[in-house]
Amino acid sequence: MSRFRMPPQILRLVLLTLVIISSYFVLRMFLKPESFGEFGHYRGAALAERAALEPVFAGAKACAECHTEVIEVQDKHEHRRISCESCHGPARAHAQNPDVKTTAFAETRCLRCHAQEPARPITQKQIVATDHYEGKCLECHLPHNPKESPP
Amino acid sequence: MNLLLATAQAHTVMPIDGYVYPNEQNFLWSVLIVVYPYVTGLVAGAFIMASLVRVFKVKALEPAYRLALLTALAFLICAPLPLLLHLGHPERCLEVMMTPHFTSPMAMFGFVYAWYIMAVLLLELWFDYRRDLVMWSQQVKGPRGLLYGLMTVGVDDLSPRALRLDEKMCDAITIIGVPSAFLLHGYVGFIFGSVKANPWWGNVLMPVIFIFSAIVSGMALCVALYYFINWVRRQAVNDECVDEMGMFLFYALLVDASVEGLDWLHRLYSAEESIYILKQLAAGKLFYSLLIGQVLLGTLLPLLMLGSTQLFRRQIPMWIRRRFYLVSSLLIVCGVLAMRWNVVIGGQLFSKSLRGFTTYKMELHGQEGWPIAAALMILPFIILYVLMKLFLRPDQPTHEQVHGHQAAPAAGG
Repeated sequence: MSRFRMPPQILRLVLLTLVIISSYFVLRMFLKPESFGEFGHYRGAALAERAALEPVFAGAKACAECHTEVIEVQDKHEHRRISCESCHGPARAHAQNPDVKTTAFAETRCLRCHAQEPARPITQKQIVATDHYEGKCLECHLPHNPKESPP
Repeated sequence: MNLLLATAQAHTVMPIDGYVYPNEQNFLWSVLIVVYPYVTGLVAGAFIMASLVRVFKVKALEPAYRLALLTALAFLICAPLPLLLHLGHPERCLEVMMTPHFTSPMAMFGFVYAWYIMAVLLLELWFDYRRDLVMWSQQVKGPRGLLYGLMTVGVDDLSPRALRLDEKMCDAITIIGVPSAFLLHGYVGFIFGSVKANPWWGNVLMPVIFIFSAIVSGMALCVALYYFINWVRRQAVNDECVDEMGMFLFYALLVDASVEGLDWLHRLYSAEESIYILKQLAAGKLFYSLLIGQVLLGTLLPLLMLGSTQLFRRQIPMWIRRRFYLVSSLLIVCGVLAMRWNVVIGGQLFSKSLRGFTTYKMELHGQEGWPIAAALMILPFIILYVLMKLFLRPDQPTHEQVHGHQAAPAAGG
């Protein structure tokens, strides 16, 4: 009785396929995050990693401890609900050590709220950025009291 | 100043007409998502062209068989690139394979792609080229010979029995490949067709329309490439082959145009509430790309030219027929690109409120810009050039040319 012999090209292909498939599973062992699938279709450890991140914002109360005068002005005008760190950047390091400066105030930040967009409430002041914006907002507007112009 | 301008432009909202929901002003799917279904469609179409030789035994198309397969491979290699660029973070691309999500059609693309390239295209090419690879590995010296040798995977059996098995394997893989090509491109149509909230996309005919337009575009590309390569190599075009390609292109285009026409007819007759804005979209924002580009230049004109070559073949001399095939194929290739544009961009131009339009302006800079899209369209041709330098050389006879038919009918190169 003749024994079945697999044709050489098929044998090589089967071996090659087995190598590819087994390398996939080996790779998966290393590349699949350990905590994946613990709670759902995501890394379970992602929650703990997020929670362990060092906070960078200080919060309005921390700003009020030293910058009372500025906050008093702001509280009387349109920007009273805007957090200081929205424009001045994260300030936790600065709150802990006043020698550390906050991120420099960039006037592009004005556009985040004041660039024209139909999704915004009509009562919110908006400009057409290509017409009005020149990167010099502070020359005409005082951020803590927007209705006033600088002297 | 440039930074200022860029900042101002980044905050500029595109013009809108009527009422548009806030989250509809920015386009989520840009020109790269136009390129993606176009490229995968060309792959599927080129493969179907090759399958005509293998499965349907259309002998006249043999001169274009290997070209069609290599074209499919070159474009398939580039198919995921528009997605990688669009999504960003290309270093995360393997995540989709490592932590597969079986309920997401988008996530399953990785597996559809892997199946198509590994189990269909590369296997068919390998079995088809095996005898040539063995012969070339013995004849050609240097790195190219070494490459051919590596690609034989150490199998140098060229006995008639082994060659017959190669042919049988090629036929079997092609039979599996045809539904796989439909799966690859039908899946793209499936993604669009599943978006129920968008009346331009959410349509059960979408996968069928995508498949037929893919077949048409891939075939047309093969016709154009066949002409171009023969022109570059100063070789005569095989008239029987181009006549046959023209015939299949005509019937494929006829079916494609009928299905798309049926889609419109159904939309117009059922006249759902979206029909008013869709009519405005077709006659307004998409006038040039849909009515002129896709319908008139990309479908009707080629149908007229190809149809006349079928109806009056005896009356139309060969030199005119050749020009008709070439011009039609170029028009179809552009027309299907316009169709992809109309689907992807058109579907985002109108509001889900059905009461307003937004505007899309192609970017210049950045990963979503038109130069990147153009580069992605050129890259497959560069890859095809390299593949042809390796596997479709005019100065390198194939095993069949040297030894004649030793097995079942083989494809010419």
